[in-house]
Amino acid sequence: MLPAQADLTNRDGMAFATGLPVRNASHTLRALPPILLRLFVALVYLFLLGPIAVIVATSFSPTHSMAFPPPGFSVRWYAEFLHSDNFTAAFRFSLVLGISAAIIATVIGFFTAYAAKRLMQRHGGVVQSLAMLPLLIPHLLISISLLLVLNFVPIPDFASLLAGHVLICTPFTVAGIIASLDGVDAQLEAAAMTLGASRLTALFEVVVPLVAPGVLSAFLFAFVVSFGDVYIALFLSGPGTTTLPIEIFSYVQWESSPVIAAITTVQIIMIVVLGLVIEKLVGLRRIMRV
Amino acid sequence: MAEPILVLDGIVKRYGDVTAVGPISFTVDDGEFISLLGPSGCGKTTTLHIVAGLLQPTAGRVVIGGRDVTDLEPRHRGMGVVFQSYALFPHRTVFQNVAFGLRMRKIPRDEIRVRVRKMLDLVGLPGVEDRLTDQLSGGQRQRVALARALVIEPRILLLDEPLSNLDAQLRKRMRQELRDLQQRVGITTVFVTHDQDEAFEMSDRVILLNHGHIEQSGRPEEIYDTPATRFAAEFIGNVNLLEGHVVNADGPQVMVALSETLNLSGIAARPGFTARDPVYLMLRPERIDLHKHPPIGQDALAARIRRRVFSGDLMSFELDMESGHSLLCTKPSQDEFRGFAPGEAVWVVPRACRVLPRPS
Amino acid sequence: MQSSRKLLAAFLAPAALLYTVFLLTPVSFFLAFGVMRYDAIDLFQPVLTLANFGRIVLDPFYRSIILLTLKIAALTTVFALLVGYPVAYVLARGQSAWRGVLMFLVVAPLMTGEIVRTYGWIVMLGSEGLVNRFLIALHIIHTPLQLLNTQTAVVVALVHILLPFMIFPLISALASQDADLVKAADTLGAGRLRAFIEVTLPLSRTGIMIGSLLVFTLSAGAVVTPALLGGKAVQMLGQTIYDLVLHTLNWPLASACASILLVLQLCFVTIQIRANRRAPRPG
Repeated sequence: MLPAQADLTNRDGMAFATGLPVRNASHTLRALPPILLRLFVALVYLFLLGPIAVIVATSFSPTHSMAFPPPGFSVRWYAEFLHSDNFTAAFRFSLVLGISAAIIATVIGFFTAYAAKRLMQRHGGVVQSLAMLPLLIPHLLISISLLLVLNFVPIPDFASLLAGHVLICTPFTVAGIIASLDGVDAQLEAAAMTLGASRLTALFEVVVPLVAPGVLSAFLFAFVVSFGDVYIALFLSGPGTTTLPIEIFSYVQWESSPVIAAITTVQIIMIVVLGLVIEKLVGLRRIMRV
Repeated sequence: MAEPILVLDGIVKRYGDVTAVGPISFTVDDGEFISLLGPSGCGKTTTLHIVAGLLQPTAGRVVIGGRDVTDLEPRHRGMGVVFQSYALFPHRTVFQNVAFGLRMRKIPRDEIRVRVRKMLDLVGLPGVEDRLTDQLSGGQRQRVALARALVIEPRILLLDEPLSNLDAQLRKRMRQELRDLQQRVGITTVFVTHDQDEAFEMSDRVILLNHGHIEQSGRPEEIYDTPATRFAAEFIGNVNLLEGHVVNADGPQVMVALSETLNLSGIAARPGFTARDPVYLMLRPERIDLHKHPPIGQDALAARIRRRVFSGDLMSFELDMESGHSLLCTKPSQDEFRGFAPGEAVWVVPRACRVLPRPS
Repeated sequence: MQSSRKLLAAFLAPAALLYTVFLLTPVSFFLAFGVMRYDAIDLFQPVLTLANFGRIVLDPFYRSIILLTLKIAALTTVFALLVGYPVAYVLARGQSAWRGVLMFLVVAPLMTGEIVRTYGWIVMLGSEGLVNRFLIALHIIHTPLQLLNTQTAVVVALVHILLPFMIFPLISALASQDADLVKAADTLGAGRLRAFIEVTLPLSRTGIMIGSLLVFTLSAGAVVTPALLGGKAVQMLGQTIYDLVLHTLNWPLASACASILLVLQLCFVTIQIRANRRAPRPG
């Protein structure tokens, strides 16, 4: 028995602190750090999720106060959200913008990813790194630069905002689809080609069905990135082209009301649901490995 | 004499400064089964991919049926390819996999059904049409890959180590089945493998590749009995290679000095040996006669058995010679050789020695 | 096959076009402003000058902004590291089924966006918010503290928002370490703590660097969080650029400030490239 015990105490905290019986005092003492560690981590998760939980709770407050815990339960703020033209318009706009940006980013991402992974013999990695370019540049800078362009070249406001969002989403779609392509045997396309398919036919018959989950996940992630963006919209939003985050930003600077809590709760639920779908499809970790 | 159906002429493949393959040239006749044999990295798969059209050669031509196809896409070349990983479409059923090539050729549906079923019968897989490929065993997947390649009635069948992912028993069985199938259908086949036994068992001709060059090409017996280089001798089966220098060369017969006390003669692998050339004396383990007592009328050498290994049908003896050399000798494990024990003194008569060039 | 080269060009064209037209050109253009002279009427004069950079360094107003920005970014980074490392450690080493859920719980808040989370802190730090109520209930204080519009609030919120950016690189670095290394250290006589200090910590150096630089650059460029949680007490580089662009309309100066942010971000990239070259790639 004893060697197995000794082995357990040398393993990482998780395995030890599973409540297995301990034989002597020195083992108990050595158990302390792992338990403290887990406690600390639990506290950090509380810290991470606290503000979110507080927002959701406050959204149901029956009064104007932002007290915690809220003095009762009411859905008046959700009703107010639905009646507010500004906010519903901004929400709709963010949805439209998000879907458009996500579609474009996914399509561009797909072609770029395929080129990098399959069409380039040796320098695919270079293309992949170059695709990450927007990540290197502070969003602030991207946004202001596009604003500058607007000054000199007459593009509609929506176009530059869309362009900005597509820019920040593309690195994620490229990375996500490349990861999906990694999971598809390159010889499948070669086989299809020897059987009589052209490269494009092989692409659509063989590759697309197999990377569909990955492409869908990339699309959803791009949508989430676009919806939650503040910095790009900060400079490029305007009358008629205001995103929800910007609408909230302006409001919160002057007023304080739980209606914001209601709006953000809706946003949180939407994003969590999408996140779960992505996790189910391919796992969020893949896309985060940008 | 019919035109060879496949001709590789001066094929070279370079990646930047590195020459992976070439220049190599060889031909394949209609109905022949040839193997591209060699260790990993020797360029055999690269060569196969060039023949299939999946890779562009840096130089050289590929000619099929008299037509230069070097610039032609894979789908126009009329080849059937079986990949090492089989490359079966995972989102399709067995039937859909095998039918793929026929669909690409816009063959009518009814005809596809007939041909696919016939082909599945031919490869020994009736009744699995509607299963998804992940549900099949390794051996079954291999047959599906074969069926898929053959159903399009290609002129040439290319196989890239198709048996390496199978377990030993299955491998042996598939070798025979594959060869039988090939002969029944009569299709020209190019088979890539690193397994020497496989190549020898199945092929009409073997092309031995090393570092992108053809080391030797010929029938299995030719390469085995008369290897041209050390690499060829060592790659196929067991071999004794003794270092020495040429004493004199008289036509094909060459006398080699292995040490101050030991000289042996052998047939030269190539003409042009002169005195003092560094060479190898090559001797196959089964071409050594073993005697308990010095045989009358033959030049025998004294040796002692250092070790004896029994492997069922064969006995292997590690012999130490008086001259200090070691030899490996294999004998069928019949009664007469079971009597030889480790430590015993024996007499050895080498037969059929060959003399190979040795880089100094 | 010539067709494959045409195909390649066609496939790469969209991204190339997007990046050149909407990213590289505008950004270069804007960065060029940094060395142009400011003009109240025309936005700028095409005269090369270093006056903008000079102003940032010499003018006490701008210097204090930069210093405050660096201070807050540094504090955020340090705390993010202290808080995030244990989490990353547990997530990297853990094998339980909880791991997927825990990872998700780290990413999910990130996806909600900066506004949502900053707002959450506005609510939490208010005079009737969770923190004050909690402290009063524990009798640590008797009247609510003024937590909003302070530097502390900004740091706390930034740590919260940027924590995932610290945790993920650390998880990468820790997970790629061979778990047997610690066991080996143990068989050689090192205690748990010793093994951690001498083996695990140094090997996660890359993760620490990457995470730290990510958090540092992102907090240095923050606008929304300092604006909403810091108010008048906190004026950082991001907000300054915002004001210069939209209110003061001094684009050359704004560009100079933005260049500083860019330099910080590029430092991060350089270090990551060097780290990638040194570390063996997985798989």
